[in-house]
Amino acid sequence: MQQQEIHKFLERYFHANGCEIIDSGPGYMTVQLTIDLDKELMNRPFYWHYLEKTGGIPNPMQLTLITNQQLAPPHIKGEVIHFGSPRLHQIFDSARNLAGYIRLYEDHRQAQGKQVPLRPWLGMNIRVSYQCDRKRDVFKSIGLQLINGQMVESFHDRLLGMSLTPKIPDYSFTLSPLIMPGSGVYRVANFIKAEIEQEDHIWAEEARQRWQKDLSLLEHFYEEAEEKGESYEKEKTALKEQYEPKVNISIINGGLFYLTDSAV
Amino acid sequence: MTVQIGFDSAWQDEFLKRIDDDGPWGNWELYKLAVEVENHTTIPDFEGLQAPKHLPNLTPLPHQLEVAKQVVERMNGKAILADEVGLGKTIEAGLILKEYMIRGLVKKVLILVPASLVSQWALELNSKFFIPAVAQRKSYVWEQCDVVVSSIDTAKRNPHRDIIYSLDYDMIIIDEAHKLKNNKTRNYEFVQNLKKKFCLLLTATPIQNRISEIFNLVSLLKPGHLGNESAFYENYKKDSRSLNDDVHLKELVNKVMIRNRRADTGIEWTKRHVETIPIEFSQPERELYEAVTELRSEENWVSSSQFSVMTLQREACSSREAVYFTLQNMLKRQEQPSIAFQEQIQYLIKKVEAVQQNSKAQKALELIQKINDKVIIFTEYRATQMYLQWFLKQYGITSVPFRGGFKRGKKDWMRELFQKNAQVLIATEAGGEGINLQFCNHIINFDLPWNPMRLEQRIGRIHRLGQEKDVMIYNFATKGTVEEHIMKLLYEKIHLFEKVIGDLDDILTKLEFGNIDDHLVDIFGKSASEGEMRIKMENLTSMIQFAEDLKEGELNAATGNS
Repeated sequence: MQQQEIHKFLERYFHANGCEIIDSGPGYMTVQLTIDLDKELMNRPFYWHYLEKTGGIPNPMQLTLITNQQLAPPHIKGEVIHFGSPRLHQIFDSARNLAGYIRLYEDHRQAQGKQVPLRPWLGMNIRVSYQCDRKRDVFKSIGLQLINGQMVESFHDRLLGMSLTPKIPDYSFTLSPLIMPGSGVYRVANFIKAEIEQEDHIWAEEARQRWQKDLSLLEHFYEEAEEKGESYEKEKTALKEQYEPKVNISIINGGLFYLTDSAV
Repeated sequence: MTVQIGFDSAWQDEFLKRIDDDGPWGNWELYKLAVEVENHTTIPDFEGLQAPKHLPNLTPLPHQLEVAKQVVERMNGKAILADEVGLGKTIEAGLILKEYMIRGLVKKVLILVPASLVSQWALELNSKFFIPAVAQRKSYVWEQCDVVVSSIDTAKRNPHRDIIYSLDYDMIIIDEAHKLKNNKTRNYEFVQNLKKKFCLLLTATPIQNRISEIFNLVSLLKPGHLGNESAFYENYKKDSRSLNDDVHLKELVNKVMIRNRRADTGIEWTKRHVETIPIEFSQPERELYEAVTELRSEENWVSSSQFSVMTLQREACSSREAVYFTLQNMLKRQEQPSIAFQEQIQYLIKKVEAVQQNSKAQKALELIQKINDKVIIFTEYRATQMYLQWFLKQYGITSVPFRGGFKRGKKDWMRELFQKNAQVLIATEAGGEGINLQFCNHIINFDLPWNPMRLEQRIGRIHRLGQEKDVMIYNFATKGTVEEHIMKLLYEKIHLFEKVIGDLDDILTKLEFGNIDDHLVDIFGKSASEGEMRIKMENLTSMIQFAEDLKEGELNAATGNS
């Protein structure tokens, strides 16, 4: 992530959370936090607890972030933000937490007087992690139409091309799903699992070989001991945790999308 | 090939609940941002290092990056990092830890380091690696913090021990791991019983160890890698030091150990200047030394005493205080000292009292005044340390003491005082390890340790990455004493100080003759005459030179210079 991208990202994050950027220039920005975002980011629960008990006037903090030390004027004091900085990762986590679930309607702007049906879609953004003593991740975005069961990949990219709104547009009505959202999630999960099972898992095979090798070394080491003892058991558990290959599917975010027939 | 697939159902439960409750629903812009975050933080490959991208303020050296890559990709996260002193093992360990944390493979970490380094480790991990490491000071820290730095001596004691064993650590890092070479100690047992999923052992001196020590260290990291105990010792003689001779064993060890040498790193190091400063005893000092030396001819003295004459001789070269202290101890240890023994001691104490000035201290004072900059003085004896501090104070020179026995906070404080307020740091041997003093570039070896590796560790405190000036080393050796002999051997015959540590390692391991200390004790302590001493010295020297030649031969062969 380039510094410029980080700067843009922060601007959008604060805007989306209703914070006013009270000062900004090349390489820096000062943000007036809202009460909610102060609680989210500033880690001062005692202050907020005290304020709620005493009924004082809340005074959320201002935050100055420097995204480029070369460009920022030297008198600006603030936190330096880069890709590895704890503050940025806190904001990353916050973005994930604040937008885990969503419901949106396509803002179709069709001619007046005509009722437009909107079909329900379940959209899920998913991370698939392949883990042994190493790890890699794959991002997937799946859309499932909850009436006919049609499934599409790269669903999120398709959504990005549409105009979406949190309120149902005029002259629109939603069709009721035939597939309940719960079983929709189940279908998507099964689809991904089936896909993973089709893959070539050389990595897992290799991890098991490494595991087996270390395990036999361990056995050999304790071969002559009458009482293998605690350290043997611990080492054995440690090897399992270190090498055992597994795939984890976790959901980043997702929700319901009501779209026109022609949208997908 | 089937593989276990897990599905996180927490999202789904909450999702269904929100459908029932008709919200609350997230903001579309934030929703999109969350996906962008995901795309930026997804790591699509098993291989490669992510950590450097997260560390804009740190420019790791090429050898450090290579180590990190190798540990992650080829050693499965279990390794002995054995770079020479001063090549940045902490940076390597930090890179590896960061890599695993970024990839989400490691969350809970236990870092065991010498007490004097606890704060420094915590500080470096925080400032250089943005890893929220906490120095263990209160017992709740174990459970509440994910990355904890502690001394092994604290960790192994209850209540800490039980808490640590009950926690699930993903990674264990142990600094100065060569201290775990003996598998009979409590420290060893403590570490052996830790669950080590990923594990790094850091040490600067593994090869100097005997083969049994290598076995113990490797078995701690990866039990069975060198076979079990009986099979191992069947193959390799227990007291052998010939790790290098056994190609197979060397290969095995290299699978779990990485060792970079200064010469391999391609970094320009500042130079070392070594100056031997001969010291002339005053008459009373000479008499004390000789009185001590004469003890050797006394019947029953050596056998009835726990202290060898050698020790007293070496102390006499250091300070009268050191001799006095030892004499007092000798008297105390005897339950019912014979009259003769008491008289003997009294006689020596008179000699001690006759000494009015310390020639070495005078020389040190001159030198310190001339240098007019920060200086570290190393001595082997606490009595000398205390005397020197008093002595320098008489001349208005500020100094701070440093000992291995200091508590962590005190060590940090002394280092800080030295950096900011004092001109001289006076350290005893035990203070040599585990403290970095790159801001100083002058060392006075007030007396010399016999083990060359210890000498190297002293120098390594200041001649390391981050040292910007040439390093000046002043060795004091009193003329006509055992010190002068040692000096001749170490300095003139084997050119010890000019070598870099790796060479020395190599050379010492080429020699099949065990511990160099033992040889020195034998030469200086047990020789009946000057002549015998000289012959034994010659022998030792030629063995060392022979090993050097061997090494050069190997080098030539390796570079194809045939």
